[in-house]
Amino acid sequence: MESVKYRFLNLNTVIDEVHSLFEQWPSNEHDPRISPDSVQRTKLALHEWIANLVQHASFECSHPEIMLDVETVEDAIVCVVEDNSQGFDLDAHLVMAAEDLAHLPERGMGLLMLQACATDLFYGRISDGRNRLKFSVKGEDDPCLTIPF
Amino acid sequence: MQVTTMTFSVEPCNQDTVIVRIGKALDFRNAAEFKSTCQTQVRSGARNFILDFSETGILDSTGLGSIFSLYRQVSPLEGQVVFASVSRPVQVVVQLTRTYKVFRQFPSVDAAKDALV
Repeated sequence: MESVKYRFLNLNTVIDEVHSLFEQWPSNEHDPRISPDSVQRTKLALHEWIANLVQHASFECSHPEIMLDVETVEDAIVCVVEDNSQGFDLDAHLVMAAEDLAHLPERGMGLLMLQACATDLFYGRISDGRNRLKFSVKGEDDPCLTIPF
Repeated sequence: MQVTTMTFSVEPCNQDTVIVRIGKALDFRNAAEFKSTCQTQVRSGARNFILDFSETGILDSTGLGSIFSLYRQVSPLEGQVVFASVSRPVQVVVQLTRTYKVFRQFPSVDAAKDALV
């Protein structure tokens, strides 16, 4: 997969635009260290993050802007997503979501899926007032999100 | 008779078994429609659901949640929800969440029909 930087301005189309980007990049045609499952897990993690932005983020007065940067580093896919929403406390949310996960849950799994897929997960405010999510997806992992069945 | 909705098509196999063709995506954008489609089928007597994922490029947490909802509905009726022709993006979600422990998987819709009908 080649390094890609992209800017999204429309919350109604951003999900389809991100998936279209991945459809254009064959999984490991250029780099055999990147497994097809890593690409799929990256796509899932990005989908869950952006779905969360689309459904729950508060952009208030500013025009929504989401920046995506994806590159491969050795056997990992490294993603950076920046946005100009109000942001939230991801760590606290993840703790609460894990504690509140219901039996065969209908909601509350999205960011836990992201967490399960990702290594080196970071989220915080950066100097220009934007929010930055950074994570890696590695090929040899077999991540698991424990759901009460 | 085939009933076509905006995203999903439903094909009855017999009185209590239907095939739901998921199409390109089951995610937060159409999960409510999926639930509504399945509820209509349950009210009409369907108990067993074969979900055809052959064309599916997106299954997200909300989509999976809507399948859990269906499972909760049909389980007390001794119904089943099974997956057929699972695409790689769907398999990644199944593997991540270990939901193969809940939903039986079949390589094709025909194989699922043979098992259920």
